[in-house]
Amino acid sequence: MAKLIGEPVKVHQKQVDEDTSITAFIWRKRLYRVNEVINWWREPADWWAGNTLRFFVQVDATNSSTCTYELYKMGKSWFLSRVLD
Amino acid sequence: MSFIHLHVHSQYSFLDGASTIDDLLQKAKLLEMPAIALTDHNRLTGAIRFYEKAKALDIKPIIGLELSLEGGYHLTLLCKNKQGYSNLCRLITEAHLSNRGKAPLASKEMLAKYNEGLIALSGCSKGELPFLLNNGKIDDTKAASDFYRAVYGYDFFIELIRYPQKEYMANSYQLIEFAREKGLPVVATNNVHYADMDRYKIKELLNAIDQNISVSQLNDFRTVEQYLKSAKEMNELFSDIPEAVSMTAEIAGRCNFEPELGKLHFPGFDVPEGEPESYYLSKIALKGIQKRYEILSPQVMERLQYELATIEKLGFCGYFLVVWDIVRWAKARNIRCQARGSAVDSLVVYALEISTIDPVKHNLLFERFMHELRREPPDIDLDIDRRRRDEVRNYVYDRYGSENVSCIGTINTYMARGAIRGVGKALEIPKDTVEEACAGIHWLSAAQLLQKMDARPELKNSDIYHRPEMEDFFKMCASIDSFPKHLSVHLGGLLIGDEKLSGMVPLEYSSGGDIISQYDKDDIEKLGIVKMDLLALPTLTVIEDTITNIRKNRDIDIDLDNIDRNDPQAFAMLREGKAIGTFQLESPAQREMAGRLLPDRYEDIIISISLVRPGPLKSNMDKDYLPRRHGKKAVTYLHPKLKNALDETLGVILYQEQVLKVAHDLAGMSYAEADGFRRAMTHDRSGEEMEKMRESFISSAAKNGVSRKISEKVFEQLAAFAAYGFCKAHATAYAELAYQTLWLKCHYPAEFFAAILSNQPMGYYPPRVLLAEAKRSGVKILPLDINRSLRDYSVEGDAIRIGFMQLKGISSEAIESILIERDKSKFNSFRDFILRVGINRNAAENLIKTGACSAFGTADRLLSEIPKLFNLKHKYLKGSLPMFADINIFDVTTPEISKGSRGADMFIERKLLSLDISAHPLDFFNISSDVTHMKDLKDKGTGKIVSIAGSVIRYQTPPTRNGKRVMYIIMEDGTGIADITVFGDIQERYGNILFREGWLLVKGKIQRRGPKALSIIAQELSALTTG
Repeated sequence: MAKLIGEPVKVHQKQVDEDTSITAFIWRKRLYRVNEVINWWREPADWWAGNTLRFFVQVDATNSSTCTYELYKMGKSWFLSRVLD
Repeated sequence: MSFIHLHVHSQYSFLDGASTIDDLLQKAKLLEMPAIALTDHNRLTGAIRFYEKAKALDIKPIIGLELSLEGGYHLTLLCKNKQGYSNLCRLITEAHLSNRGKAPLASKEMLAKYNEGLIALSGCSKGELPFLLNNGKIDDTKAASDFYRAVYGYDFFIELIRYPQKEYMANSYQLIEFAREKGLPVVATNNVHYADMDRYKIKELLNAIDQNISVSQLNDFRTVEQYLKSAKEMNELFSDIPEAVSMTAEIAGRCNFEPELGKLHFPGFDVPEGEPESYYLSKIALKGIQKRYEILSPQVMERLQYELATIEKLGFCGYFLVVWDIVRWAKARNIRCQARGSAVDSLVVYALEISTIDPVKHNLLFERFMHELRREPPDIDLDIDRRRRDEVRNYVYDRYGSENVSCIGTINTYMARGAIRGVGKALEIPKDTVEEACAGIHWLSAAQLLQKMDARPELKNSDIYHRPEMEDFFKMCASIDSFPKHLSVHLGGLLIGDEKLSGMVPLEYSSGGDIISQYDKDDIEKLGIVKMDLLALPTLTVIEDTITNIRKNRDIDIDLDNIDRNDPQAFAMLREGKAIGTFQLESPAQREMAGRLLPDRYEDIIISISLVRPGPLKSNMDKDYLPRRHGKKAVTYLHPKLKNALDETLGVILYQEQVLKVAHDLAGMSYAEADGFRRAMTHDRSGEEMEKMRESFISSAAKNGVSRKISEKVFEQLAAFAAYGFCKAHATAYAELAYQTLWLKCHYPAEFFAAILSNQPMGYYPPRVLLAEAKRSGVKILPLDINRSLRDYSVEGDAIRIGFMQLKGISSEAIESILIERDKSKFNSFRDFILRVGINRNAAENLIKTGACSAFGTADRLLSEIPKLFNLKHKYLKGSLPMFADINIFDVTTPEISKGSRGADMFIERKLLSLDISAHPLDFFNISSDVTHMKDLKDKGTGKIVSIAGSVIRYQTPPTRNGKRVMYIIMEDGTGIADITVFGDIQERYGNILFREGWLLVKGKIQRRGPKALSIIAQELSALTTG
């Protein structure tokens, strides 16, 4: 079961230049600690409409409970794409 | 662990690969890859250049391809050795040729038949195994894998491709599981389609163009991962299965195919038993030379023996016999056929009647064509009567076997306009915008588009190229510059193999149904396969038709071999610039040269053809030669030893053959060495190499008693000339045809113009300009007439009658029907015509409108009868009405004179015949009285300011010495034609008009560069408006 979100998040990374080095992210003012980066991939954008490539990271993260979160980076901004149970 | 890419697509995957071979190899070099494969879709088109370029970068090339199989599956194949390459060629050829008009598909039988020497990888997601497995068809997957294992044995591998996206990874895990279960080896690839990730957009763009849809409509799986990844990335991606990565090196080690470049393959010639090819060639050459010369001088015999010995030494006897046989066959059937190019330098070629030019008489050098130091396949190009060229081609197929002969493929690539239209459609740019963007573009590659946008006036002054929202669009267009669109037939090129071609060259069908090589002519040459150009030359058709017209019209048989080669009338016409319609001499530049050179002898035509070339004009050869020709400058030689070589051109180097003679006479080189020297100077050389050549030349000349000062000067002249000079043999072959057309036009204008108008399109000018020139040459133009016109233009005394083929909307069948019925009896009424002839209503109306039926009534009346007549005809055809039952339906009336307005007639002529007969459209524009008619320009002196008005025939922008663009416009006004020169400042000011307006008013200054040479230097341009 997945819930579509599509909201901006703030991401903490171990290394600024490596997008898979996420340690935590803040969503709706709450901190989510990343336990594990499960997967990553890049998705082509509708470049003809002016959109740029999106970089996706699927993480296992904990706030009060642990869930799988799908984040993506477009340009320099990060967004939470989906929450997977 | 090292990784080697074994599945790579380049631009030769035709609209699926988004990077060039160069870019892929550069990236591979950057990534320090020791080897790389090329596996384009169903074609080996890029293989030879890939091989050479990879070798140059010290990367091991592996040749292969991605094959489409029946069922729509893909399979990746790599060549292990020569047998593998031959089998791959045969396999892809059969896959193409057994699916004519459709996409190539290989059957399982074909795979089994051509399996030796090949390695097979199970393919991308469209591979049979991945596809079946992904769809849960386990039993089918097992059966398929058993098949591939049986066919390829231990050279079959399960191909693992991982794009970090869930579904792809999942498929990869399934395949690993399957491979383990079946005991099959696995190998990692990345199904590369571009060198760098950002090119994924270009791939999508190309895919959309290929599918003729917009990018937003693409339904294919989308990814950005098909780039040339580093070994580190690939190792990380396959960290759970490292053997898939290490297997790439193992496979690369098994692939050791090296194409045999440079080895010549000649078709054998079927000589009489007991006679070797060399003996047979000598025999027929000796027989031929006796026919050519009344008295055989020792000089001629010595040269013939020398040429024959060289040909034998090089192993080219069979090739000469093949060409001789083709020409002999053609001539026996009265098909005009002759050599062009440097082959005309050869006395053997002349003796074999392959060429009509005597190389001894014209001072031509065999070594410019062939010598023992030049180990390249010989190249004899043949010009053939266009109408009958296919008969000759078919003979070659019959004679050498259809499996040993094919046409040569040529790669059609994107230029600016094609790129704009293709990208425009893919990006859903409105059609009007696309066409506006195309309107200002001439002679530009897609890449030049961006570079020239701020330089070329027609682009700079136009808003479309500078709209911010169009910037990315034009960048996209530039990014597909020179990308292949499709393969087509190289005009005239034929391959003749010494064995079945499909074992050496991959073949396929062209869209027109010809079998063509997937390699272009350059790669064919590298493979050493004999290539022969059988070129369709319409001029030969025109000459043949003119002679036929003269025979029919005047009962005179013209023998062009025996006409006066220095006919004063013909040369007077040429000097007056009246060369429109003639071969090679009709262009504005040639007409201007005639006005400057004032030719009065046959050799002048050879000189004129050689001078009016971009190279010679850029290097000012005309300015050296013409003053000497007119006695305004003394004829001097830097050294007396140069006189022998340069005497014929008054001390100026004009021909490539003269470079050989100069090097021979001054520096003591053999002619063969001299040709090597010429060729070396023609190519770009480093300063160091040039210095070496210079020193060698100077020291050799010194041994010959020539001072350093003189030899240095001569070397400089040769170095400057070598890149630009023209081959005299080629110029002479062309001069012969040019003179024949000039002579025929001069003495038999009606017959000549009827022939040239019947053979359109050809030459430099559209039919309406040729028709106007015919009128100026005293030929009367007779209109279309259903009782008199033929299919083509015909001659009636000193007049020509327009043929039915000139009329728009009439089919060949309808013309045929008219001619057949008319042979039975002439049409006695319009009704008679309609009822007897198989013609549609539209064509019948067009015939009426152009006056072809005016003998039977006015256009208005005849047009009004059309519905009734066609209705009646319909009833007849259905059999519901007996013939002539309608006899009283139409009143028998006296023919009336057709009364249309002059403007309406002119409009109809332009629209339906593309001709101006009764009036010129210029009569209907607003033109002030001070505009000069073009026929009167000849009376205007240098510096006189004139205004002219007319339609643009064509634009030209030849290369210039200083690189600045000069534009030449040819215009016509019905009284004559004018040549306009437009320099940069005027182009700048009137950029919006150039290329966009068909009718111009030009104000400019008369310039005379010679006694009869006239052009107008444009000062102001404006578009003409109608009244």
